[in-house]
Amino acid sequence: MSLSGKAAIAGIGATEFSKESGRSELQLAAEACLAAIKDAGLTPSDVDGLVTYTADANSEIAVQRELGIPALRFFSRVDYGGGAACGTVAHAAMAVATGQANAVLCYRAFNERSGHRFGQAAPSGRVDATGLEFSWHLPFGFATPAAWVAMQARRYMHDYGATSEDFGRVAVAMRRHAATNPAAWFHGRPITLEEHQASRWIVDPLHLLDCCQESDGGVAVLVTSLDRARDLPNRPAVITAAAQGTGPDQMMMFGYYTGELSALPAMATVGDTLWAQSGLSPDDVQTAILYDHFTPFVLVQLEELGFCGRGQAKDYIKDGGIELGGRLPVNPNGGQLGEAYIHGMNGIAEAVRQVRGAAVNQVPDVRNVLVTAGTGVPTSGLVLSAPE
Amino acid sequence: MALAGRLAAAGERPPLPCPDPVNAAMIRNWTQALGDTGTWDDVAPPAMIQVWSMPGLVRRPDQKGAADQVLGMLDAAGYTGIVATNCDQTYDRCVKVGEQLSTRMRFGGVTGPKRTAMGEGYFVTWYQSWYDENDERVAEMLFRVLKFRPGKRPPAASTGGRYPLRPAVGKDTAFFWDGVNAGELRIQRCADCGTLRHPPGPMCPHCHSLNRDHVVASGRGVVHSYVVHHHPPVPGRTPPYAVAVVELEEGVRIVGNVNGCPPDQVRVGMPVRLVFERMDDELVLPQWTPADAPPPAPPSPPAATAVAEPASGGLEIELTPTFIISTAIATRDFMPVHHDPAQARAQGSKDIFVNILTSIGLVQRYALETVRDATPESIEVRLGAPAYAGDTLTLTGDRVDDRTLRVRGAVSLGDHLTATVRFKEAR
Repeated sequence: MSLSGKAAIAGIGATEFSKESGRSELQLAAEACLAAIKDAGLTPSDVDGLVTYTADANSEIAVQRELGIPALRFFSRVDYGGGAACGTVAHAAMAVATGQANAVLCYRAFNERSGHRFGQAAPSGRVDATGLEFSWHLPFGFATPAAWVAMQARRYMHDYGATSEDFGRVAVAMRRHAATNPAAWFHGRPITLEEHQASRWIVDPLHLLDCCQESDGGVAVLVTSLDRARDLPNRPAVITAAAQGTGPDQMMMFGYYTGELSALPAMATVGDTLWAQSGLSPDDVQTAILYDHFTPFVLVQLEELGFCGRGQAKDYIKDGGIELGGRLPVNPNGGQLGEAYIHGMNGIAEAVRQVRGAAVNQVPDVRNVLVTAGTGVPTSGLVLSAPE
Repeated sequence: MALAGRLAAAGERPPLPCPDPVNAAMIRNWTQALGDTGTWDDVAPPAMIQVWSMPGLVRRPDQKGAADQVLGMLDAAGYTGIVATNCDQTYDRCVKVGEQLSTRMRFGGVTGPKRTAMGEGYFVTWYQSWYDENDERVAEMLFRVLKFRPGKRPPAASTGGRYPLRPAVGKDTAFFWDGVNAGELRIQRCADCGTLRHPPGPMCPHCHSLNRDHVVASGRGVVHSYVVHHHPPVPGRTPPYAVAVVELEEGVRIVGNVNGCPPDQVRVGMPVRLVFERMDDELVLPQWTPADAPPPAPPSPPAATAVAEPASGGLEIELTPTFIISTAIATRDFMPVHHDPAQARAQGSKDIFVNILTSIGLVQRYALETVRDATPESIEVRLGAPAYAGDTLTLTGDRVDDRTLRVRGAVSLGDHLTATVRFKEAR
């Protein structure tokens, strides 16, 4: 049996995206979840499953209490930071497809700008598997996600002749998309490649404008069976494929010890599964939501997912290749560089809007959307499709 | 700095007579304390030159340093830290027992502010020359110090502050950190199939053996990739600094900082060699420095290969308290940090440490034991990590050409000194 086509996303909900929400993370989660339930035309008592990130501060039962859900039959967490994003939907789809639950909410809510900021250096290490992993890196002042990605980006530049300007083209595309998205933090504020180049170093070779913003906000999506979704108000976003993946010698953002630094083998695992499960190929995708916490990994993802060959992404993205109207519009909402950094969850909501034909930057004739989650970590992906 | 300009323009200060004539007793004390077995007879070892003008325990009021005023200004401006960085001596001729020398100081210059590992600071340079009774110069010395403003976040090497970025150490990784503390970079090896692995773990992923031991890395590697951290601030670190993935010649990769060159000069493919950096009283980190940074890497660090021997022979000196104190006194250096552990600790040092006059004397001793029957023309010393009591100073060398020897003096904290010795042309 295959998971393909068994479940669909029937509802999406979000708070506003800001730099200071002014309210608790639990409130953001509850607001986003309630909005998704309403968008699906359901009530909280219809929900019997909750899935979030291990990194989320809001436990399933805390959210259950706020929403007044009488009982949960399914709850789970997905680990590894933003790599969890599509994994939450994969877990929900599996629960729905196997009858473990009827309607599962996937949510992510945080005050990542006004509260705990991921981009700051974290000094301590615990003696557990993750703490020991970090201990090979933190003592050297190698302490931020930007630095960890920059290490792979430098080698990618060395191996394939990519330049900082190639990375900058990703930022320019995302900010162009955000400029016409009223929900985006950078609405109305596009940038030029020159501005990207002039922005200050964060961790050489990454400039400030290679790094996504930090945001407060919450996003939730509601997963139910495709059969049930067909009876609900919105056009279902069919979960044609859902996958999680790691690569050889996998670590949390420290893929330096085995194989090529210019690659993201975990994303190759996810991509292979997605294409096999869906029976589709890159040519069948009209728009893609590629996790863009840092620009270089957008290029590497295009290669790992088969949109172009190794080292060719810099040519693929030239001349507006990933912009609206280009060969593969990427992140029409502006992505995490332009819309908001909600750990990938806002990208899943945008994919649903593209399938519905209801996005502000709508790509024409969308049949299939590819979505990816956090890169450099164990990751996940989805193919969402318009129903037959 | 207007003052600096005035001082530089003033030229040499009036000469001061050295306290004692060149004499056999001081030469004997000096050679015995430093372990120098050379035959000097009535000639003084060239590297002793500064000893003749040292004031002794009681400084005369007229003995002022050429840079005292600038150093005082920097103190007042908050640049209160001081560390010697360079000592270059040039010898016009050997001096003989009985000669009465005089000395003159000359302010050299001040450059800065510069960002350094210690904090923002100014390099202050002065010169000292020695003259014989005919007012002929017999030797000259350049001396440079860094006057630095101790940072809000104290530099990692300074004691007192605990370095905040500490590794978690578990059962499976303790051997690695034990090795670092012992001056070894250990790579886990499967005791059954021999596969090397870093970072280490309890089970060999290839043959699933739980039996493991380790090899000691040679310390040679190549930068596989690197970054330069600028932002955000990281506790315990002063940006910008370079972090690299280093591919060791044994085939595994490891992450560390590249020190010893400006971060923007690090390159993919750059050969690097291992150095150990002491972060505080407890933590030592394995770090990297360009392989071609002077001096060239010695043939092999200790213990890397059991049979390895430095090509020119190494000189190992146990830094006992007796050695440190007797050499300090034999060089007429009565600074308490060289003989009083409590005073040394009060000034932020771990223990008493070898003084600079001894370091330069040891470079000469090593050079003359390595290149027999030569006469030094100049010794340029670049100073690094302190050589504390209880440590071992290992001097190794590398012949650059007939007249040039590069010397490296290593302690457990890294390089105590790197030096270039030039010899006079053989007659």
